[in-house]
Amino acid sequence: MIKVQNLKKSFGDNEVLKDINLSIEPQEVVVVIGPSGSGKSTLLRCINLLESITGGHILIEDKDITDKKNDINKMREEVGMVFQHFNLFPHKTVIENLMLAPTKVRKVSSVEARKKGMELLQKVGLEEKANAYPSSLSGGQKQRVAIARALAMEPKIMLFDEPTSALDPEVVGEVLEVMKQLAKEGMTMVVVTHEMGFAREVGDRVIFMDGGYIVEENEPKQLFESPQHERTQAFLSKIL
Amino acid sequence: MDFRFDIIVEYAPFLLKGTLLTIGLSIAGILIGTVFGLFIGLGKMLQNKLLAFPFTVYITFFRGTPLFVQILLVHFGVVPFLIGETNAIYAAIIALSLNSAAYIAEIFRAGIESIDKGQMEAARSLGMNHVQAMWHVILPQAFKRMIPPLGNEFIVLIKESSLAAVITAPEIMYWGRAMAGQYYKVWEPYLAAAVIYLILTISLSFLLNRLERRLKTE
Repeated sequence: MIKVQNLKKSFGDNEVLKDINLSIEPQEVVVVIGPSGSGKSTLLRCINLLESITGGHILIEDKDITDKKNDINKMREEVGMVFQHFNLFPHKTVIENLMLAPTKVRKVSSVEARKKGMELLQKVGLEEKANAYPSSLSGGQKQRVAIARALAMEPKIMLFDEPTSALDPEVVGEVLEVMKQLAKEGMTMVVVTHEMGFAREVGDRVIFMDGGYIVEENEPKQLFESPQHERTQAFLSKIL
Repeated sequence: MDFRFDIIVEYAPFLLKGTLLTIGLSIAGILIGTVFGLFIGLGKMLQNKLLAFPFTVYITFFRGTPLFVQILLVHFGVVPFLIGETNAIYAAIIALSLNSAAYIAEIFRAGIESIDKGQMEAARSLGMNHVQAMWHVILPQAFKRMIPPLGNEFIVLIKESSLAAVITAPEIMYWGRAMAGQYYKVWEPYLAAAVIYLILTISLSFLLNRLERRLKTE
């Protein structure tokens, strides 16, 4: 579903991703962990082309999204993204947040977009907040709306960039619950997170990144219980 | 000092006509200036430095030279060059618009750049193109932040339109000066003019405050 080949990314002289090779299968849930500055968020942002890449290729369903001939906007419609800081549109109500992209990009009628939006809000347990503005929601509610907003475009892949890092501890669970549900329904997901419990329970595969490389990848159980690489051991011993 | 209200009453119809022209000049200036300013502000924000350069020069020139000089240049230079003869009202509108466009361009740029870049990323990640994201997500939020500085610019414009008196555009100060010239009086004409400008600017800030409150979503 996603193939990353020899991906390189530099910010000026600073090479953040050095040589990333990665393949993600349909319906797979891949959790990316690693110390800060290891390049995990950048990797995710590259998959959505929010960062221009310096070298290598990214293929989504065999289409090379780094090829200038392909329409980036069309590609992005297939890939949903959830941000650490939610990035809801503050001037629009919750339901309008969900309706904006489908009506403007997909040209869905607003009646249909509203219906679909309400279904998604129900799914994340926030249908009663449809007409509220984002500023009146708690962090956990905001992130659930952000997930619903991404789902409104019916993406084939969902990327989560530290979705619970900006949340108060007591609301982390409600967001993870929505993500678990999504995984259970067979969504292909790439999740950058520090929630090791989630990685263990939901992840099909865990990738440990450090210094711009993928150091180690394995099934969660193996990776957490018997990490092969020294740097993985050092990282895990610090956080577990 | 005997204050002669009678000459103010005598000049009232002229001052009223002058007030209408002042309002007209200011509205024309802010409307044309806003359209121009958006265009120039977006131009200055272009990634390509070479393409952005003319817009930077424009802003530098119109912010860096006195409006008085610009009015004279437009009145005695630009308008005659364009239509063969000069016209004080056209000249005033053109000079005020060009001048306010430079300031409004910077207001737009600051407003747009003040929006968190996560907003653009979220919009793009949903498949919107740059123009859609600007139009539906960035500009509505930026506009709300631009109301106070835009209102400020509008108030400045109302006051600076008084400079059009020197090119004989018959606005408030033109009639004020005429009254001063006819009666050799100082306080009556200029205080009358000052009061009218105050009424205009206070009403405008009242309207802007209400607009700002109505657009608040938080």
